[in-house]
Amino acid sequence: MKSAKQISVRTLWKFAALAFFVMLGAGVNATAQTAKIQTSSLDHLVAKASETFNLDLDESLMQLTAKVFKSNDPDEARVKALVSGLKGIHVRVLEFEKEGEFLAADLEAIRVQLRAPGWNKIVNAKSKKEGSVDVYLMTSGSQILGLAVLAADAKEIAVVNILGNIDLEKLSQLEGQFGIPDLSLEKPRPKN
Amino acid sequence: MMKKVTIVGTLGLVLTLVLALPARAKNDNKDGNKDDNFDGVVKVIERFYHVKHKSIPLLARAGMKTALTAARIAGGSKKRLAEAGSLKVAYFEDQDFDAARGVASFQAAINTALRQTWSPFVQVTSPRSGEQVYIFLRNAGEKFHVMAITIDRRDATVVQITLSPSSLAKLLQDPEDMGRAINDEATTDQ
Repeated sequence: MKSAKQISVRTLWKFAALAFFVMLGAGVNATAQTAKIQTSSLDHLVAKASETFNLDLDESLMQLTAKVFKSNDPDEARVKALVSGLKGIHVRVLEFEKEGEFLAADLEAIRVQLRAPGWNKIVNAKSKKEGSVDVYLMTSGSQILGLAVLAADAKEIAVVNILGNIDLEKLSQLEGQFGIPDLSLEKPRPKN
Repeated sequence: MMKKVTIVGTLGLVLTLVLALPARAKNDNKDGNKDDNFDGVVKVIERFYHVKHKSIPLLARAGMKTALTAARIAGGSKKRLAEAGSLKVAYFEDQDFDAARGVASFQAAINTALRQTWSPFVQVTSPRSGEQVYIFLRNAGEKFHVMAITIDRRDATVVQITLSPSSLAKLLQDPEDMGRAINDEATTDQ
């Protein structure tokens, strides 16, 4: 016969285990649903870089952004509309003085994330820039969860990660603003 | 019975702490009147680079530079300086900000010092030359606090200003140029 104390301790452990798995499940689910790209794999290149640029507009700053642009000013209203529906903008650029300071393998950890389910490479996204500019879109059903651009040439790496409802048209309008570098993306052709 | 109470109590305490921590961080962000970390940032710089900031009166040289910086952020018009509100400045002049100490390590130290109550916005570094610009933002009711930390080989400045939404909009739209402007104006002799 089990004592009341034994049952209580076991029950508590079961609750603790259940709580742990619920939290773990929530974490996995959150990771699966987010279009946020981790760029910490580039940290070791910082010391070699001649210049680095990081911009983080997280969800709370995006909410601020929505507040500070006025609807009655045409320019600000345009920007306000552009950023509405966005949940974050994250930009990381590393520039190097010489070629060969980084290897293709240094970008692999980012490419691995972009091969995960939900991400799709936009094949018709073309850039006039030298080097490779790959654009990826994360979707869940008909919902767009985010976009990522991985651009690299011999002396520069740029990762642009925009969370929320974003498309190529919006991205090309955002180039040069909010720290998003000029990716020289060709404007998407309208669908017939 | 004691064991049961202890386990329940411990689990409760852990859960309470886990639930309370993010809430506290959020409150601090919203409030904007709690410890502003300005002194903490100055201390991080002093400890990391073994330097000392100078207590220069606000309206003296550093004040001039800060005023120009604030004017630039506010759109270039000194008339709009008034809206910049409270200014705090710490100036480190002609001291050794040795790049060999590691820009990445300093970046991590600054982020750790401010991440609880400020949002990192822009961070520009030139690891080889040692030039660094950090801009953090925080909501302060109707206005916004901006903390700008600029470091180059021989000088550094920590500036905290309060901006109106319209000034913040300019900063948000062109953060890189604004970061450089803060750096230039805070560290170049006028």
